[in-house]
Amino acid sequence: MDSSKLDPLKQIALDQFVIITLPSEKCKIVELKGNTSVSLGKFGAFHVNDIVGYPLGTKFEIYYDSETVETIGGDEPVKPNKKNKITKVNIGKVRIVEKDTKRDDGLDNVGNSHNNKELINLGSDIQKMTSDDIEALKKQSTSANEIISKIIESHGTFDKKTLFSQEKYLKRKKQKFDKQFVVNYLSANLLLQYLIDKNDIQRIMDMSEESIGMLLNLANIRPNGTYLCMDETGGLLIYFLLERMFGGDDTTGATGKIVVVHENEHPNFDLLKYSNYSEKFIAEHVIPISILEYFEPRTVEEVELDFKPLSREEVSELKSGAKNTYFRKLKWHKIHLQAIDVATKWVYDGLVVATTLHLPTLLPQLGKRVHGSRPIVCYSQFKEVLLELSHTLYDDLNYLAPTIIETKCRPYQSIRGRIHPLMTMKGGGGYLLWCHKVIPAPEPELIPTESVPNNDKGDTVEK
Amino acid sequence: MSQFTEYKDLIQEGDIALIWISRGNIKAVTIDSKETFNTRYGSFQHSDMIGKPYGSQIAIRTRGTGRFAFIHVLQPTPELWTLSLPHRTQIVYTPDSSYIMQRMNCSPHTRVIEAGTGSGSFSHAFARTVQQLYTYEFHPVRYEQAKEEFKKHGILDENVIITHRDVCEDGFTIKPTDTTSAQFSEEEITSGMKQLNATAVFLDLPAPWDAIHHLDKVIATDEQVHVCCFSPCIEQVDKTIESLENNGWTQIEMVEIQGRQYESRRQMVRSMEDAMQRCRDIKRRKKEGIEKKQSLIEREENNNTTSTNTEHTQREPFTEKAKFNPFGKGIRVKEGDPGYKWKQVTKIESEIKSHTSYLTFAIKLVDKTRNETLVQECLNETK
Repeated sequence: MDSSKLDPLKQIALDQFVIITLPSEKCKIVELKGNTSVSLGKFGAFHVNDIVGYPLGTKFEIYYDSETVETIGGDEPVKPNKKNKITKVNIGKVRIVEKDTKRDDGLDNVGNSHNNKELINLGSDIQKMTSDDIEALKKQSTSANEIISKIIESHGTFDKKTLFSQEKYLKRKKQKFDKQFVVNYLSANLLLQYLIDKNDIQRIMDMSEESIGMLLNLANIRPNGTYLCMDETGGLLIYFLLERMFGGDDTTGATGKIVVVHENEHPNFDLLKYSNYSEKFIAEHVIPISILEYFEPRTVEEVELDFKPLSREEVSELKSGAKNTYFRKLKWHKIHLQAIDVATKWVYDGLVVATTLHLPTLLPQLGKRVHGSRPIVCYSQFKEVLLELSHTLYDDLNYLAPTIIETKCRPYQSIRGRIHPLMTMKGGGGYLLWCHKVIPAPEPELIPTESVPNNDKGDTVEK
Repeated sequence: MSQFTEYKDLIQEGDIALIWISRGNIKAVTIDSKETFNTRYGSFQHSDMIGKPYGSQIAIRTRGTGRFAFIHVLQPTPELWTLSLPHRTQIVYTPDSSYIMQRMNCSPHTRVIEAGTGSGSFSHAFARTVQQLYTYEFHPVRYEQAKEEFKKHGILDENVIITHRDVCEDGFTIKPTDTTSAQFSEEEITSGMKQLNATAVFLDLPAPWDAIHHLDKVIATDEQVHVCCFSPCIEQVDKTIESLENNGWTQIEMVEIQGRQYESRRQMVRSMEDAMQRCRDIKRRKKEGIEKKQSLIEREENNNTTSTNTEHTQREPFTEKAKFNPFGKGIRVKEGDPGYKWKQVTKIESEIKSHTSYLTFAIKLVDKTRNETLVQECLNETK
């Protein structure tokens, strides 16, 4: 690694996509450009130059002092023209949050109750501060902690709450008034999380982190493999594969390739635009091919009928305009020739599929060019779809032991003395079908001297 | 070359192959042309496997019965190895290990610490993906067994270093005087230890809180480090969280993974109409039977008056053979028999792993500073 440059895998670098976690636990994807600023809406805004160079994962806090006068338009990248009101956000300074513990010190100086029997619900009357008062405090750009402690002070029965509900109260207020944010590496996990939070479930086929994680392991994804893939999630699955194979780095020298069969004229790898791989790198390692080109490849003769490469002398005689056209055509010619190889010569080290096409007809076709002993993993949002596929594969001697798998992550409230599963969790997450490609043997010759067996099926027919 | 990190085309002499006999019966063998692989279904010559591509089915007719028997020869992967391996300890299964690897962002850039090695199941999965694995085992016999196994599998020469160590007592630093598979460079011998710079840590220990404070000496300081503690009991989780907090780890979250497998089955579609029709049929036959009997008796009574021959009265009344039997009652019907209609269904395994362990994750970032001159240079470049 070049030590005179920032390492975008470790540090916050320029011209890099990062994902910012807000106090509300919502996320925002931002491309960092030098000498610009980023608005986090009600949480404030900051100068990109102030965060560049710090390690990824650093927690910052926006603060304001008398010098801050600059403003930036509100949170427009997320929701443009929200109610047609573009609010200006003050650009603050940032400082590093050194102490980042879960426990709240804000409660040390207030009393609490063992139970809530003295707590009477009086609604908003209990809070002596009005929302205008709070707005005024925010305008003064007081720190979140100060605002929160003022709110607690003015809360009539805060000390009648139990410690548990005090903490919950504090957490809610922090999510509202805190100006702290974390700048993270845009990993495939966080991109997935971002899409889930945005409620893009349909687009990503309801995939969960645990399902994709298991898919990558079951498919035995390695840096040097050649994989056949179908991805209907706009490139999310491919991003997971790329991250597992290359770890966000163009320069590992690993030779792995992903052939992506797509059903439209052009592939949809939208989400790869957030990745930090160069276009050249992606073109080299992600090879799109349409389902038609894959299953009905043209012949070399047909391709050569369209275009004949010229000899070196002929090329040098071309005018510069014609030369450019020639090289563009040559590039496409090479892509067409490669497509033929991809469809007819390449042998695959694994097959990974996330598509809503009819699997019982598709998979045995895609499986044909997978090498023996290599895994096949198929993702679906619905178990029934994989069930039908598994019955088809059971009857096909080229596939060993199709298995339907589900994996689910159950998160816990992870506070000492109060550990319990969270009250709600995400449903869905999909299912996997896992099997291995095998090569059936011809039935062996009968041993002539033996009597003819009456049970030809054999008793090890177990899949 | 490692069998676990390179794709092989053909089965060759000396290879470690996995022989798939059935689900739950997978055996590792070293291919040796003089050997045979024996199952209760028959013997398979290794020489019949050599030269064939991996994934080949090997079929034989058994001598005694002439039956057709077969096996599949597979190239090992960490996941298949997990299904076949000799258990030295409780192992980490794929639903847990795959989630842990994904959550810790394991890639060719990750340097992982694993303690303890145990049966080495997770070690193989880590070794496939990460840049470097440092694994620690305190049990001397298991250390030797694991070291031999990693060597045999070719991963010890690639990216795995195993060290005999009680990490709770003695921490994670690897010194030239230790019992370890590590090779030391000149520089490391001078400095007296290996630079680990771990970016991910997996602790499968009974008391991870005794090991957590040792981590500061061996983790990377200039980037985020992930930790996962694997503990079966909630009390362990509580103490682990305390220790992580005290040692500056943040974003602590505990989760549990539930992995499930489904069997694909078929259930016969039995229509209400068929069930009613069957009842009608039974009723009809009963009725006809009685009617036939009655008419027979009547006829015989009539005959009796004219004849003394009573032979006919002994005859059973005629019954029709073809009963209406839409569900194959009384016959053994194989699931999926094409003579019947079936609905595809799933059935969960009869015994599921309802709890393996709690996974407690946390992150630590040691050095939160930036190189101001480097940052200035980068900013200057962008005008």
